[in-house]
Amino acid sequence: MAAELTREWSDEQLKSDDLAKKDIIKFLQDHGADSFLAEHKLMGNIKNVSKTAKKEQLIAAYNNLFESKRFKGTDPLEKVTEQVKAVKIEEKESKPEEVVDEGPPKYTKYVLKKGDKENFPKKGEAVGCWYVGTLEDGTVFDSNVTTSAKKKKQSRPFSFKVGLGRVIRGWDEAVLTMSKGEKARLEIQSEWAYGRKGLPDAKIPPNANLIFEVELVSID
Amino acid sequence: MALHQLHDVIRRCQAIPDDGFKAEDYDQFQMAGRSCLEEGKTAEVLDIVTDENNKEIVKSMGWNLLGPLVKIVLRKEAESLQHCLTTLKHVLEVCSPKELLVGLLEQIEDADVDNIAETIILLLQPLQIALLKLGKKKASSLGMSLSTVLNQISQLPVPYTKEQEEDDVYGLCQCCAALIEFVKPFVDEVDRGRESKAIVAENEQRTELLKFCMKSLGNPVLQSQLDKVPDSAEDPPLRHFATEILVILSCIGESFPALLLHHLVKKKVESGFLEEDVKYPKESLACLSYLLFVQHIGIERFPTVFSPVFILQFNMQYIEVLLKSSEESMLSKGLELYEKSLQRTEDNSLPMQLLEVKCFLRVPQDLVTVMTLCPIQHLRTEALAVFQLCMDKFDTEGKHKLFGCLLKINQHAGVQGYIIKNIKNQIDFSLKPGNSNVWFSGPQLLPLLHLVLSLPEGPETDLLQNFDRIMGSLNLLRYLLIRDKEWDNHTGIWTELYKIEENFLKLLHTGLKMSKAHYEAEIKNMEENRRRGPKESKGVCTLTVGDEKLSNMTPEMHLQVLQSAMFTFDLIESVLARIEEIIEVKVKP
Repeated sequence: MAAELTREWSDEQLKSDDLAKKDIIKFLQDHGADSFLAEHKLMGNIKNVSKTAKKEQLIAAYNNLFESKRFKGTDPLEKVTEQVKAVKIEEKESKPEEVVDEGPPKYTKYVLKKGDKENFPKKGEAVGCWYVGTLEDGTVFDSNVTTSAKKKKQSRPFSFKVGLGRVIRGWDEAVLTMSKGEKARLEIQSEWAYGRKGLPDAKIPPNANLIFEVELVSID
Repeated sequence: MALHQLHDVIRRCQAIPDDGFKAEDYDQFQMAGRSCLEEGKTAEVLDIVTDENNKEIVKSMGWNLLGPLVKIVLRKEAESLQHCLTTLKHVLEVCSPKELLVGLLEQIEDADVDNIAETIILLLQPLQIALLKLGKKKASSLGMSLSTVLNQISQLPVPYTKEQEEDDVYGLCQCCAALIEFVKPFVDEVDRGRESKAIVAENEQRTELLKFCMKSLGNPVLQSQLDKVPDSAEDPPLRHFATEILVILSCIGESFPALLLHHLVKKKVESGFLEEDVKYPKESLACLSYLLFVQHIGIERFPTVFSPVFILQFNMQYIEVLLKSSEESMLSKGLELYEKSLQRTEDNSLPMQLLEVKCFLRVPQDLVTVMTLCPIQHLRTEALAVFQLCMDKFDTEGKHKLFGCLLKINQHAGVQGYIIKNIKNQIDFSLKPGNSNVWFSGPQLLPLLHLVLSLPEGPETDLLQNFDRIMGSLNLLRYLLIRDKEWDNHTGIWTELYKIEENFLKLLHTGLKMSKAHYEAEIKNMEENRRRGPKESKGVCTLTVGDEKLSNMTPEMHLQVLQSAMFTFDLIESVLARIEEIIEVKVKP
């Protein structure tokens, strides 16, 4: 895949003081195969290589490169190494690092009805919500919304102080992003819900992801 | 005779205009009426009472006959029963509800312990009818009635086993069932009132019903055995009663989270904090929490959104109330509530910061009190299991702090030994690859180690009394010296060794020497006394337990005790020697 390279510098130019060691090293690192560089001890930080390599060595390496034609891409190993390097980089970018207090939110929010976009609850404030909680298979395990006309006047929104760890983490984090009047569908992963234990009393199995439809009706 | 008198009174009163009756008239009527009834002239009394001409008299004075009528009905004598029941019914229909109320409550209040259940069951319905007649002004009368009835019910013994509950010898279960029927119409009124955003009257009634529920939860629900009966579709009577109380709470508009969390809501101080205590008594709320989280009664009306740690947090105060009791029924409920609340959380998850909330340290201490002092064996065992569970739930930093605090507060050697074993397990865990943490395999371990590897009272420490703790410490030390190689020194034991030798091992040697010398001298003394002859050897001490003097310890027994002490010292010494051997080998190349 490497195109045929032409010599840029003549022998005289190489020996000349005008041409810095670093330039030769850079050229060699840019165009030489990994195994070539390894053999000639040319791998690594240019400054360091410059300290340890004499100009004569570099000139010899330069000449050797063109004689052996061991340019980048000609190394059978190199291809694999490049591929491995590429894979590693990919993984690093897509998977967020697992740090204790950070990491991507373990829930997703789909807004069903927009709120006023002005009044957002602050940590420690009391909020009132209507909600329906279901498992992934659709089973409703809890709700404070009643459809029967008689009870409607008697039921009240669920009230709690947000952001203090009093509710499952998915709720705490999601409600802080909601504005007054907003209705949203929250899909909360089990780690931010009831985790490995689940809640057998409430028919929530272990490792259950929970789905809530939440309407934020009041902020204190 | 009495009949004559009664006729006389009636005749005289008929001449007097309405409301002109005097105190003597009432007294005479009551005395004459009572005597007639007691003499068995029940049929005649019935006739007089139901006579249309006597309507006004009966309306004003009839309620005075309640006492004697009830007495006869309870006696259940066949001949008089029917007449009395009919007379009673008539009086209840005709007399003014206010006065009837007074009379009925008086009867309930004055009932003999043997008659409480029957009296209540007989009079609850008349009471209900009288109250309903009072219309919108009934709230305080309702409150008084409920309070009187509950006071009497609380005198009835609570069944302990399911068989006792079935037999219901003292009638508690029957009374509870009757009580639920009694309150139904009043609850319905409040329920309907809520829909129309009703008036103050309903609010007062609502408050009285709330007080009633709270009081019932405190007694008899809290004292009852509430487990379901396996393989039975129906709930046993007391469990059913508890369920109904929670239904009533919902019907009158109380929310369970609001009740359990009300202490978190900053309210303006209401008129007299006594009101608060009556409306939200801690023991009743503790009972409510137990019903929800242990028995799962009413849990469907508790939101499934709260975090398990928060639930544990607000339950701690209720657990504390229950664990401080000396009654078995309350202690066992407290233990179960603690256990269930802890089980909802993941192992190794509770953060150290929780221990800054005072209950979180007080409650384990209450557990220790149960573990060491409760006379009931199965409760002691349960408490120990919950104690271990409590320790397991904290994360490593939390465990570290908890162990340190518990060691400092506790004097009981057995408990200390148990905690030291837990410390050893944590160190063992953290020395395994991948588990290292600063709390049990780093510099933070040292203060805890020094706490463990010490004698609580220096060389004067009573080695026998503190045996469990001392052996725990020595075993931990021996484990560390073997497990943590000198060149690793993960736990820091090798760098601290010289301090431990000075402050612990050396003192232990001194203590052992002193104790052994003392006991050896005692033994020698005893043997000399024995040689001198049986006449001269007496029992060394006397013990009195509960006014009974225990038989003196014989010299042989005393000797045994002394020798067993010596064996104990030898045991400690042997572990100590082994430790010193290990140190010798490892430190001096």
